[in-house]
Amino acid sequence: MSGADIELKDVRKAYYKDRLEIPVLDGLDLAIRSGEFVVLMGPSGSGKSTLLHLVGGLDSPTGGSVRVGEARLENMNERELTAWRSRHVGFIFQMYHLVPVLTAAQNVELPLLLYRMSSGERRQRVTTALDVVGLSDRMHHRPNQLSGGQEQRVAIARAIVTDPDVILADEPTGDLDARTSEEILNLMNLLNSEFKKTILMVTHDPKAAQHGERIVHLDKGVLHREELTAARAGARA
Amino acid sequence: MILPLSYNWRNLFVRKLSTGLTFIVVAVIVLVLAVLLSFAAGIRASLVATGSPLNLIVLKPGATAESTSILQPEEIARVVQTPGVARQADGALMISSEVAVQSAIPRLGQRDRPANVAIRGVDVLAYAVHDNVRLVEGRWPDAGKMEVAVGRAAQKRFAGLRLNESIALGRLGNRDYTVVGVFEADGGALESEVWGPRPQIQDSFERDVVSSVVVRLGGPADVEPAVAYIRSAAVQLDAKPETEYYRELTAKTTEIVMLTSVLIGIMAVGAAFAVANTMYAAVDGRRREIAMLRTIGFSRGAVVLSFVIESVLICTLACVFGLTASVGFNGMRQDFLSDTTWTVLAYELRLTPGIVAWAFALSVVVGVAGAAAPALRAARLRVIDALRKA
Ligand SMILES: Nc1ncnc2c1ncn2[C@@H]1O[C@H](COP(=O)(O)OP(=O)(O)O)[C@@H](O)[C@H]1O
Ligand SMILES: [Mg+2]
Repeated sequence: MSGADIELKDVRKAYYKDRLEIPVLDGLDLAIRSGEFVVLMGPSGSGKSTLLHLVGGLDSPTGGSVRVGEARLENMNERELTAWRSRHVGFIFQMYHLVPVLTAAQNVELPLLLYRMSSGERRQRVTTALDVVGLSDRMHHRPNQLSGGQEQRVAIARAIVTDPDVILADEPTGDLDARTSEEILNLMNLLNSEFKKTILMVTHDPKAAQHGERIVHLDKGVLHREELTAARAGARA
Repeated sequence: MILPLSYNWRNLFVRKLSTGLTFIVVAVIVLVLAVLLSFAAGIRASLVATGSPLNLIVLKPGATAESTSILQPEEIARVVQTPGVARQADGALMISSEVAVQSAIPRLGQRDRPANVAIRGVDVLAYAVHDNVRLVEGRWPDAGKMEVAVGRAAQKRFAGLRLNESIALGRLGNRDYTVVGVFEADGGALESEVWGPRPQIQDSFERDVVSSVVVRLGGPADVEPAVAYIRSAAVQLDAKPETEYYRELTAKTTEIVMLTSVLIGIMAVGAAFAVANTMYAAVDGRRREIAMLRTIGFSRGAVVLSFVIESVLICTLACVFGLTASVGFNGMRQDFLSDTTWTVLAYELRLTPGIVAWAFALSVVVGVAGAAAPALRAARLRVIDALRKA
């Protein structure tokens, strides 16, 4: 139930294109407390997604260290990272990434297929997760029968069904209108306050950013500014 | 650790056209495989069952079959001296002079497609010499009468061969014979024939010579000396046991099986490419989905396995479909124009369990081979690249 803390130290990440080094992250430090809701902002191409991928164990840093809870990701190989992701991280993407041929419930069930678990328990967990996002009545709908906001809520249910320590969200409201965005963001707040998940969320939208407790700004490969939001003061539930 | 089968099943319907075409390709190959192998199995069954190891067929040297052999009376006279020939109760030597000719007879239900049916002119002695030939209906033709007995397989396949029906035979096809009997021969090649009294047949076909002589021997030990004697300078004819003679005719089916294998092999390679094409489309269309699955913790192996299962699913379903279609051909009476005898052999297609097993094996191999490269592409997919927008 409880989250994990995150610690990045002197993280460097470079891509290579035609043997040319393109530095993206250049000695970045970031510490996130367990149960904290941090928003990551920055210009397009500044490396926000890259940073999220490093924290989620989808990619490895060129240098420095990434620790999530007990896990030292920079020391883990791909197989270990894959297994770790399925236990500890929930991902939410701008594009939802639902499987179109599966129903909402089956999409949510996917991560649980990697667990040793009776089908009864799986069904119980799926129902609970869909309850949390308010979509119990859409369990058997296919993604193309759902609105964008509903699709993202299914994706959120899929991210939390394994009860991960950390939720990583990459522009989760990027494709949604203002009202629907607000619903999704309130849901993120719920996961944070109610379920104590540690959340790192990327967004472009300053209004969305206000849902977090702390905003960090990424530019030129490092975090150069951070601010506390009103939510930190407890103004938001 | 694996994705549910329902996931693969539903994905089959996402790319209906591509999947459908691949399905048809594999089903057709299975159909061709099953029918051609059933065909070979049927021919083999009817030829292998033919003949007795104690009967020698005596032919003109160089003749490949009875129909191309001509024996003169003086040659036949020399055969009589063969050691070890069995005798009937009355002391008569069991040597049957036979004339093998052919006549065009319409196929049942296809009057416009007549087939060359083997007609055998025999003496009464032949019914004893051919010990595996048994009368099952009516009686044997009377010597000197325009009567015939017909093989069970010939009767099932060709028109006008029911008991008491009249059939026109002869070189000009204008001599009417009455069907008076039906015989069986353990499903062997003789069952595809029509037998009549030798003098009448010779007259109708304007053949005053004999094609072959069938010599029945007393026991297995007599075979070797008898063959040696007939092939020697004393007789100067060719002889071989009936079983061997018909086995040599089955060499043809071995050829069919080999040709089938080559044909199926080539088609299977084509099918594997069709499968690969479909699976590449599936992989490319599901890049983001694959990336998502890998993100939430599915391994490369699970992704590879899923695509292989999907491919094998298409192929085995197509196999079931192809086999089901081939059952329509099973038991179908066919005839096979032998290129050595120029007569037809009527036989039934046989879909054996072995053929079914081969069909499934082939489908699985095509499915796995076709999925290999696309599944590898899916496994190599760079997750973070595929996750990015666009
Ligand atoms: N696979 C890659 N190869 C080369 N450059 C890349 C690759 N992935 C990302 N980049 C570059 O890294 C930078 C950061 O990308 P990204 O993390 O997606 O930024 P953001 O999410 O902030 O828009 C961009 O300039 C992008 O072009
Ligand atoms: Mg991004």
